[in-house]
Amino acid sequence: MGITEKIKRNIDMTSWKDKIPVNYIYTVGIAGEKFFREIKDNGKIVGTKCEKCEVTFVPPKIYCERCFSRLENYIDVGTKGTVHTFTICYENVDGTKKEEPTIIAMVKIDGTDGGLVHWLGEIDSKDVEIGMSVEAIFKAKEEREGSILDIKYFKPT
Amino acid sequence: MTEKVAIVGVGCTNFRSTTPDLSYRELTYEAATKAYEEAGVEPKDIDSFVSTAEDFFEGYSIADEYCPDQLGAVLKPVNTIAGDFLQSLITAYMQILTGRLNIVAVQAMSKASNMTTLKELELFAFDPVFNRPLAENPHFVAGLEMNRYLYDTKITREQCAKVVVKNKLNALNNPYAGHGAKITVEDVLNSEIVSYPLTRLDISPSSDGAVVMVLASEETAKKLSDKPIWIRGVGWCSDTFSLESRDWAQPISTKIAAEMAYKMAKINDPKREIDLVELSDLFSYKELQHLEALKFCSKGEAGKMVDDGVTEIGGELPVNPSGGSLGVGNLYECSGAQKALEIILQLRGEAGKRQIKNANIGLAHAWRGVPTTTSVIAIFSN
Ligand SMILES: [Zn+2]
Repeated sequence: MGITEKIKRNIDMTSWKDKIPVNYIYTVGIAGEKFFREIKDNGKIVGTKCEKCEVTFVPPKIYCERCFSRLENYIDVGTKGTVHTFTICYENVDGTKKEEPTIIAMVKIDGTDGGLVHWLGEIDSKDVEIGMSVEAIFKAKEEREGSILDIKYFKPT
Repeated sequence: MTEKVAIVGVGCTNFRSTTPDLSYRELTYEAATKAYEEAGVEPKDIDSFVSTAEDFFEGYSIADEYCPDQLGAVLKPVNTIAGDFLQSLITAYMQILTGRLNIVAVQAMSKASNMTTLKELELFAFDPVFNRPLAENPHFVAGLEMNRYLYDTKITREQCAKVVVKNKLNALNNPYAGHGAKITVEDVLNSEIVSYPLTRLDISPSSDGAVVMVLASEETAKKLSDKPIWIRGVGWCSDTFSLESRDWAQPISTKIAAEMAYKMAKINDPKREIDLVELSDLFSYKELQHLEALKFCSKGEAGKMVDDGVTEIGGELPVNPSGGSLGVGNLYECSGAQKALEIILQLRGEAGKRQIKNANIGLAHAWRGVPTTTSVIAIFSN
């Protein structure tokens, strides 16, 4: 057992460049359907509440992640929230530098235990603080297509 | 039925930023050869093999089918864990505890340098509907976590930077480590910001390498090795995948996995009873978070431990004497393997210039990186 002869010169090394083409359709499911339709049609954010745990999930789930109860109680949770944490992102996915850094926040939706991870807009990065109040800004109704990107960003209230 | 299981042989490659001279299979073969030689076994003596593979990271679908050959496991029982090496080690451990299998080999490997679109692959681990459409660099999750952790605990960026300085310095004394350096706190703070407050040097650089270990039941272990290293306790736990409902300041899965492992190992006071720790430091702040979650100090106190030098090689509780992921490199599924390897070398007294005196009980911990919430722990003794 063991390797007795190793390659000694970089120039002798061969490699094969490949790509994995991956195309996928992710159906959003029962809770996702409610969530994205409310965003698209009404500019509203909904969650589901587990009465037993007194936990409100945003985005909604059809089961409680804590007690595994079935959840059917969809509630309008409003569009306002609080910056739970934020970051200022200077790099694109491929590692190249962004022309303009983006501000990403975990926004806890007020009165719930969940929230959305999204951009902050209409604010200078120097002025962002944990705990600040923000609200969701939606695209115009005719531009909305039932995706998380129907929310443009959250902005300070 | 056997109740004690030991590691009787370990083998690894060097951990380097690139390894163009060997294919991923040959990396594993090199580590396996060393581990089997150390244990004094041949593949025919091994009853079962547990490999570790994550399809997209290996570049295959059904990557587990590509695991047997390089381990000498063709036409043998093989199963593959899509997780961290420590999860595979626990699987091998449980297989031996059944009493039906006597010697089991366990493997993990990283060939991160083959992934020409590494961050795109990491982004593919995010929820496709709620998170992926933002198409942001996955480091943003670490930026969000670090910011909230510092806010909650009043731990500073300087204290996080001290972790980087310590671990990269430790790595200089580890011949296997690929990212050792002597740097200053200022170097870390002044390196470019990737995702505020996270700088380039707060992030462990990706690395290649492979680790194989041979485990055996008590009786066999005593025959095969004069320095068997015993598994004393194990624990593992996964939190929700949802970015929207997880805790952003604390790794709760590590806390719960630790409780499981401590109970099994009958450890009541981790700081007093455990001699050294190798824990997940894929990002600088993670070392501090994990020290707290593993109950080596109370919440918010980890920064002070670093300030006081407690976690240095000469300190009261050496943490990541190998150099950790910051000094050795991010080995993806193989990260926990590198940590367990260091604990085993230390407990055998074979850690060279970085040897810790009176090392008898050590803890290895792994976290599976952004955006996961899975933590795994194994506690070893000599
Ligand atoms: Zn519930």
